[in-house]
Amino acid sequence: MKNTIKVERAKKNWTQADLAKHIGVSRQGLNSIETGKFIPSTVLALRMAKVFDTTVEALFQLDDTEG
Amino acid sequence: MEQSVKIANRNSIISALIYGATYVPTVWLLKHHVFGKPVSIIIVIVPVITFSIYIFKYIKSFAVMDEVKQRVQLEAVVIGFALTVLLLMILFLLSMCGISNPRWFGYGELVGWCWLFYFVGWGISVKKYGV
Repeated sequence: MKNTIKVERAKKNWTQADLAKHIGVSRQGLNSIETGKFIPSTVLALRMAKVFDTTVEALFQLDDTEG
Repeated sequence: MEQSVKIANRNSIISALIYGATYVPTVWLLKHHVFGKPVSIIIVIVPVITFSIYIFKYIKSFAVMDEVKQRVQLEAVVIGFALTVLLLMILFLLSMCGISNPRWFGYGELVGWCWLFYFVGWGISVKKYGV
Protein backbone atom coordinates (compact mmCIF):
# COMPACT_ATOMS: atom_id res chain seq x y z
CA MET A 1 0.00 0.00 0.00
CA LYS A 2 1.41 3.38 -1.05
CA ASN A 3 0.29 6.70 0.36
CA THR A 4 0.75 10.40 -0.28
CA ILE A 5 0.49 11.52 3.33
CA LYS A 6 3.97 13.06 3.31
CA VAL A 7 3.15 15.07 0.17
CA GLU A 8 -0.19 16.27 1.57
CA ARG A 9 1.49 17.14 4.84
CA ALA A 10 4.15 19.15 3.03
CA LYS A 11 1.43 21.08 1.14
CA LYS A 12 -0.04 22.17 4.46
CA ASN A 13 3.41 22.65 5.99
CA TRP A 14 2.47 20.32 8.84
CA THR A 15 4.82 18.20 10.90
CA GLN A 16 3.91 14.62 11.78
CA ALA A 17 3.00 15.84 15.26
CA ASP A 18 0.58 18.42 13.79
CA LEU A 19 -1.20 15.85 11.65
CA ALA A 20 -1.19 13.29 14.45
CA LYS A 21 -2.96 15.77 16.68
CA HIS A 22 -5.57 16.51 14.01
CA ILE A 23 -6.48 12.86 13.42
CA GLY A 24 -6.10 11.65 17.02
CA VAL A 25 -3.15 9.25 16.84
CA SER A 26 0.32 9.30 18.36
CA ARG A 27 3.21 10.74 16.32
CA GLN A 28 4.92 7.35 16.29
CA GLY A 29 1.66 5.79 15.10
CA LEU A 30 1.40 8.30 12.27
CA ASN A 31 5.01 7.64 11.31
CA SER A 32 4.19 3.95 11.10
CA ILE A 33 1.26 4.72 8.76
CA GLU A 34 3.22 7.20 6.66
CA THR A 35 6.06 4.73 6.10
CA GLY A 36 3.56 2.04 5.09
CA LYS A 37 4.30 -0.26 8.04
CA PHE A 38 0.74 -0.01 9.31
CA ILE A 39 -2.44 0.11 7.24
CA PRO A 40 -4.95 2.41 8.96
CA SER A 41 -8.61 1.61 9.52
CA THR A 42 -11.28 3.06 7.22
CA VAL A 43 -12.28 5.59 9.87
CA LEU A 44 -8.74 6.86 10.28
CA ALA A 45 -8.18 6.97 6.52
CA LEU A 46 -11.40 8.96 6.09
CA ARG A 47 -10.40 11.31 8.91
CA MET A 48 -7.05 11.86 7.23
CA ALA A 49 -8.66 12.49 3.85
CA LYS A 50 -11.00 15.00 5.49
CA VAL A 51 -8.24 17.07 7.11
CA PHE A 52 -6.39 17.17 3.77
CA ASP A 53 -9.62 17.94 1.92
CA THR A 54 -9.07 15.05 -0.45
CA THR A 55 -10.32 11.49 -0.95
CA VAL A 56 -9.10 8.24 0.56
CA GLU A 57 -8.36 6.95 -2.96
CA ALA A 58 -6.06 9.91 -3.58
CA LEU A 59 -4.33 9.40 -0.26
CA PHE A 60 -3.90 5.61 -0.42
CA GLN A 61 -3.19 3.49 -3.46
CA LEU A 62 -2.61 -0.23 -3.88
CA ASP A 63 0.86 -1.32 -4.96
CA ASP A 64 1.13 -2.83 -8.44
CA THR A 65 1.79 -6.22 -6.83
CA GLU A 66 -1.40 -5.93 -4.74
CA GLY A 67 -3.57 -5.91 -7.87
CA MET B 1 -8.20 12.95 24.35
CA GLU B 2 -4.40 12.93 24.56
CA GLN B 3 -4.64 13.68 28.28
CA SER B 4 -7.05 10.79 28.89
CA VAL B 5 -4.70 8.42 27.00
CA LYS B 6 -1.78 9.52 29.17
CA ILE B 7 -3.82 9.09 32.37
CA ALA B 8 -5.03 5.63 31.31
CA ASN B 9 -1.48 4.55 30.43
CA ARG B 10 -0.11 5.92 33.68
CA ASN B 11 -2.83 4.15 35.71
CA SER B 12 -2.08 0.91 33.90
CA ILE B 13 1.66 1.16 34.63
CA ILE B 14 1.05 2.13 38.27
CA SER B 15 -1.30 -0.81 38.79
CA ALA B 16 1.26 -3.15 37.15
CA LEU B 17 3.90 -1.88 39.59
CA ILE B 18 1.52 -2.35 42.53
CA TYR B 19 0.83 -5.90 41.34
CA GLY B 20 4.58 -6.58 41.14
CA ALA B 21 5.09 -5.03 44.56
CA THR B 22 2.49 -7.37 46.08
CA TYR B 23 3.31 -10.53 44.11
CA VAL B 24 7.03 -10.72 44.94
CA PRO B 25 6.62 -10.26 48.74
CA THR B 26 3.73 -12.75 48.72
CA VAL B 27 5.92 -15.40 47.09
CA TRP B 28 8.74 -14.60 49.51
CA LEU B 29 6.42 -14.76 52.55
CA LEU B 30 4.83 -18.05 51.56
CA LYS B 31 8.21 -19.57 50.71
CA HIS B 32 10.03 -18.57 53.88
CA HIS B 33 7.32 -18.60 56.53
CA VAL B 34 4.76 -21.13 57.59
CA PHE B 35 1.26 -19.76 58.10
CA GLY B 36 -2.04 -21.38 58.90
CA LYS B 37 -4.28 -22.09 55.92
CA PRO B 38 -6.70 -19.14 56.46
CA VAL B 39 -3.80 -16.65 56.75
CA SER B 40 -2.07 -18.17 53.70
CA ILE B 41 -5.24 -17.81 51.66
CA ILE B 42 -5.61 -14.16 52.72
CA ILE B 43 -1.99 -13.55 51.69
CA VAL B 44 -2.64 -15.28 48.34
CA ILE B 45 -5.71 -13.13 47.70
CA VAL B 46 -3.71 -9.87 47.83
CA PRO B 47 -1.79 -10.30 44.51
CA VAL B 48 -4.91 -11.81 42.94
CA ILE B 49 -6.76 -8.57 43.69
CA THR B 50 -3.91 -6.33 42.52
CA PHE B 51 -3.54 -8.40 39.33
CA SER B 52 -7.28 -8.13 38.67
CA ILE B 53 -7.07 -4.36 39.11
CA TYR B 54 -4.08 -4.27 36.75
CA ILE B 55 -5.95 -6.23 34.06
CA PHE B 56 -8.97 -3.92 34.44
CA LYS B 57 -6.75 -0.83 34.04
CA TYR B 58 -4.87 -2.44 31.15
CA ILE B 59 -8.11 -3.12 29.27
CA LYS B 60 -9.26 0.44 29.99
CA SER B 61 -6.00 1.88 28.65
CA PHE B 62 -6.23 -0.43 25.62
CA ALA B 63 -9.60 1.11 24.78
CA VAL B 64 -8.16 4.63 24.55
CA MET B 65 -4.96 3.74 22.67
CA ASP B 66 -4.66 4.71 19.02
CA GLU B 67 -5.05 1.85 16.57
CA VAL B 68 -1.31 1.38 15.98
CA LYS B 69 -0.63 0.94 19.69
CA GLN B 70 -3.67 -1.34 19.97
CA ARG B 71 -2.20 -3.53 17.21
CA VAL B 72 1.17 -3.63 18.98
CA GLN B 73 -0.47 -4.72 22.27
CA LEU B 74 -2.69 -7.23 20.50
CA GLU B 75 0.24 -8.85 18.71
CA ALA B 76 2.28 -8.87 21.94
CA VAL B 77 -0.54 -10.67 23.77
CA VAL B 78 -1.10 -13.11 20.88
CA ILE B 79 2.60 -13.99 20.65
CA GLY B 80 2.88 -14.20 24.46
CA PHE B 81 -0.20 -16.42 24.68
CA ALA B 82 0.89 -18.70 21.83
CA LEU B 83 4.39 -19.19 23.24
CA THR B 84 2.98 -19.85 26.73
CA VAL B 85 0.59 -22.50 25.36
CA LEU B 86 3.49 -24.02 23.41
CA LEU B 87 5.62 -24.17 26.57
CA LEU B 88 2.74 -25.70 28.59
CA MET B 89 2.19 -28.31 25.89
CA ILE B 90 5.89 -29.21 25.81
CA LEU B 91 6.04 -29.44 29.61
CA PHE B 92 2.92 -31.62 29.70
CA LEU B 93 4.27 -33.98 27.06
CA LEU B 94 7.66 -34.16 28.79
CA SER B 95 5.97 -34.85 32.13
CA MET B 96 4.26 -37.84 30.47
CA CYS B 97 7.75 -39.11 29.65
CA GLY B 98 8.69 -38.61 33.28
CA ILE B 99 10.85 -35.57 32.53
CA SER B 100 10.26 -32.43 34.59
CA ASN B 101 12.32 -29.57 35.94
CA PRO B 102 10.29 -27.70 38.57
CA ARG B 103 13.30 -25.49 39.36
CA TRP B 104 12.88 -23.73 36.00
CA PHE B 105 9.36 -24.70 35.03
CA GLY B 106 7.30 -24.78 38.24
CA TYR B 107 3.99 -22.86 38.47
CA GLY B 108 5.76 -19.77 39.80
CA GLU B 109 8.35 -19.84 37.05
CA LEU B 110 5.61 -20.23 34.42
CA VAL B 111 4.25 -16.82 35.45
CA GLY B 112 7.69 -15.38 34.74
CA TRP B 113 7.93 -17.20 31.39
CA CYS B 114 4.51 -15.87 30.46
CA TRP B 115 5.61 -12.28 31.09
CA LEU B 116 8.86 -12.89 29.23
CA PHE B 117 6.94 -14.17 26.20
CA TYR B 118 4.65 -11.11 26.31
CA PHE B 119 7.69 -8.82 26.23
CA VAL B 120 9.22 -10.85 23.39
CA GLY B 121 5.96 -10.35 21.45
CA TRP B 122 5.93 -6.67 22.35
CA GLY B 123 9.51 -6.26 21.12
CA ILE B 124 8.74 -8.01 17.84
CA SER B 125 5.64 -5.89 17.28
CA VAL B 126 7.33 -2.61 18.18
CA LYS B 127 10.12 -3.40 15.72
CA LYS B 128 7.62 -4.37 13.03
CA TYR B 129 5.59 -1.15 13.23
CA GLY B 130 8.45 1.12 14.27
CA VAL B 131 6.62 2.69 17.21
